[in-house]
Amino acid sequence: MTTQETTSGNGKGGRRAVVVGGMRTPFVRAFGELIEMDAIALGCAAVSGLLKKLDLPIREVESIVWGGVILPGMAPNVGREIAIDLGLPPTVEAMTVTRACASGLQAITLGAAAIERGEVDVVVAGGADSTSNAELKFPQRLIHVMAPVALSRKSTPADYLGALMQLSPTRDILPSRPEIAERSTGQVMGEAAEEMAQRNGITRVAQDELAVRSHHRAAAAVASKRFQNEVVAVDTPKGERVYNDTIIRANTSLAQMAKLRPVFSRNGTVTAGNSSALTDGAAAVVLMSEEKARALGYKPQAAFKSWAYVAIDPRDQLLLAPAFAMPKALKLAGTSLRDIDVIDMHEAFAAQVLSVVKMLGSDAFAKQRLDRRKAVGDVDPERLNIHGGSIALGHPFGATGARMVTTVANELALGDKSLALLGICAAGAQGAAAVMERVS
Amino acid sequence: MTDILMELGQNAFIQQAIKTLGLPIPIPQKLRRSDGPWEDRPLADRDVAVFAAPGGALSAVVAQTLAGMGAQPTVFNTAAESADLAELGEAFARPPVFQSLQSIPQGFRTDALVFDGTGLEDPAGLRTVYDFFSPLVRGLKPCGRIVLLGRSPEALKTAEKAAAAQGLEGFTRSVAREVGKRGATANVVYVDAGAEKRVEAVVRFLLSPRSAYITGQPFHVSKKVQDADTIPWTRVLDKKVALVTGAARGIGEAIAQSLAAEGAHVVCLDRPADDAPASRVARSVDGSLLLVDITEQEAPKVIAERLLEDFGGVDLVVHNAGITRDKTLQNMKPELWDQAVDVNLGAVTRITERLLDGVMRDGGRLVCLSSVAGIAGNFGQTNYSSAKSGIVGYVRALSAKVSRRGIAVNAIAPGFIETRLTAAIPAVQREIGRRMSALGQGGLPRDVADLATFLVSPGAQALTGQVIRICGGMFIGA
Repeated sequence: MTTQETTSGNGKGGRRAVVVGGMRTPFVRAFGELIEMDAIALGCAAVSGLLKKLDLPIREVESIVWGGVILPGMAPNVGREIAIDLGLPPTVEAMTVTRACASGLQAITLGAAAIERGEVDVVVAGGADSTSNAELKFPQRLIHVMAPVALSRKSTPADYLGALMQLSPTRDILPSRPEIAERSTGQVMGEAAEEMAQRNGITRVAQDELAVRSHHRAAAAVASKRFQNEVVAVDTPKGERVYNDTIIRANTSLAQMAKLRPVFSRNGTVTAGNSSALTDGAAAVVLMSEEKARALGYKPQAAFKSWAYVAIDPRDQLLLAPAFAMPKALKLAGTSLRDIDVIDMHEAFAAQVLSVVKMLGSDAFAKQRLDRRKAVGDVDPERLNIHGGSIALGHPFGATGARMVTTVANELALGDKSLALLGICAAGAQGAAAVMERVS
Repeated sequence: MTDILMELGQNAFIQQAIKTLGLPIPIPQKLRRSDGPWEDRPLADRDVAVFAAPGGALSAVVAQTLAGMGAQPTVFNTAAESADLAELGEAFARPPVFQSLQSIPQGFRTDALVFDGTGLEDPAGLRTVYDFFSPLVRGLKPCGRIVLLGRSPEALKTAEKAAAAQGLEGFTRSVAREVGKRGATANVVYVDAGAEKRVEAVVRFLLSPRSAYITGQPFHVSKKVQDADTIPWTRVLDKKVALVTGAARGIGEAIAQSLAAEGAHVVCLDRPADDAPASRVARSVDGSLLLVDITEQEAPKVIAERLLEDFGGVDLVVHNAGITRDKTLQNMKPELWDQAVDVNLGAVTRITERLLDGVMRDGGRLVCLSSVAGIAGNFGQTNYSSAKSGIVGYVRALSAKVSRRGIAVNAIAPGFIETRLTAAIPAVQREIGRRMSALGQGGLPRDVADLATFLVSPGAQALTGQVIRICGGMFIGA
């Protein structure tokens, strides 16, 4: 299989981008407490919380690079809307990118690249998604038939009626049910995870164990106040204040997980429990050139040694691409899995994480598909998602990358770990990875 | 002319009626074909049963081929003998399923059966062929594939080995007739020593839906043709310039389209009188138009100059243009003889000789259209048969001369293909032509195009000097 990839190393011109700090909103199950807030409002909450925490004068912000998947149709450049809504200087330029679930990481690495190229010194980068505010899509036929009538001033009620008569009430008028399905193959994400579980021999128990571990670790992180300076409370338009993540289940157990029914196939293994849930939320980090950070009196937390984006065939194993992206990023960073202290992988599905982990540990995969003599390495569960992952925390698509970078940067800044590896799978059979290092 | 039996076979009600009433109407199976350009993994989610007779030399390449095609293998050897399959199975997440021939699960079904007979030592070894196929052939799905692999008999050290190897061919031809009514095909691939790696391209083609109408045929994989740089599996003809004669309609048109779909720039050649249809084809494939009467004295020069001028040469040549001028020998006027022999053979050799002199690039591919009727002989076609079997002789002799330049030369011998020519045959004879084959139906121009495209692809370096019949297992000729 061929992979298409774009990559970049860090500090080519001698400048280094550093993470100064990160922040996110609570991650809340879709159609829950944050239902009134769209991706822009959530982004504003995360960014304003972050600027406040860092006590960063707003005039220092030069640029926003934002990521999102379900973009608001009337204002898809979410980043710019955030700058305007927050009253940042009018000169803060912004763009919004999408690379499915890797959008947040994509925004951050674009910001880092801009700094390292010398374009800017201070960037706010992150992502947000509100599944609760996904726009329903009317059939294109309805638009094609009705738009000419609606847009013409001369249209009479008879014209409207005539146009309506051309439409089938069942097929052409009702909006389609939104689904997380691949456009090219029609395969729903969960079906892809189910297929991967079967083909890679990932058992139900192994998936449930990973899910339980994710919940327990996330709960422990909350209890120990590890997330205290990563999560900012959000005030909703209704006047309520949302403090906490709502998906984490501290007291879940294997026995409870085992009770859940498979969702995507009768004899399947993928359940609501071992998959990530639809989530609302936002996350952001502030990136600076190292000199600027020090000049402003910040202690840089972490920097990127490398990043890599790859794509594989969506008709094969849809969510396997991190198994290609992660070795690529390691190679670009000139390091190996052995030397990595923290591994943070986006948990779209336990089956997908475990499939990737299995391939990273496989000599056969390395030889046949990565052109390496030996396996990339075994992933030590003690180093993987040490504070839980998307299954427990939730997965607001565009925010996940920034959530991961924030948690990893904080972990590195604690001082006893020096290298981290990130891995994210994304729709379209794409994969993203990055190697981050502590900045001392 | 539409094939009425085929049409009826598509109707669920009629299918049921024939079944219930027990009518002796052999409804042919509609063949599975592939649309669009070559796929990276044409066997994704399909099952392939594999077995190697003891001493088989191809387990690594078979494993590689199946993994690359995305197939799910079921192996009837022991795990130890199938280490290659196990490793690839893990890497591609298609771990092989191990089964024993002694305890085949009830209702076992598979899309293909692959037998590695390269280890056959003597006629007694042929028993393994029976042992593998006899219990499994029942489970071969509609439009399934049987592929046997053997050592080239003529190069084997002992006559006993050669006997066993040759035995695979007879088996293939016969089993092809037994599975034909299911739309399934059977072919055998003979492999020269040292050419093992080249088997992949051929087996890929034979297992894919693009060999739908080829059955009962032997293929000889050799190292004669110099290696191509790389063997791509998709967009296999990117950057190639192809010349197709008789491209205005029918098989030639299908070939032009198929080559273009793989990325070739196709120069569509036909007679000046066919200006309109030829230019329509050239436009549709985004190619070039070349209007020349190939029998003209100046034709080779005109073609060569045009190819050199516009493209600096040519990579792929498909001699498809052909005519029939049927008459019994005693009633045949000399001009009918001359026309048939000149268009079908004389012009082919004259143009080829000119192109080989500094126009055709190294690593090129040459394909000539022969004909089953031509080879087997046909009433009223002494002129046509002379020309079409002349093609066979030409291809065989020429292949040896140009293999060092990396050029492969092969012939295609179509059987009954649904075209303008066959539509003009009287109804009764046409019906006999269709049904007198293992698959019980005519082929389509695109079937021939799929074969021609394979034969001009880089992977076809394995084959040269061969005549490949594409006849649905026609009962006449061998």
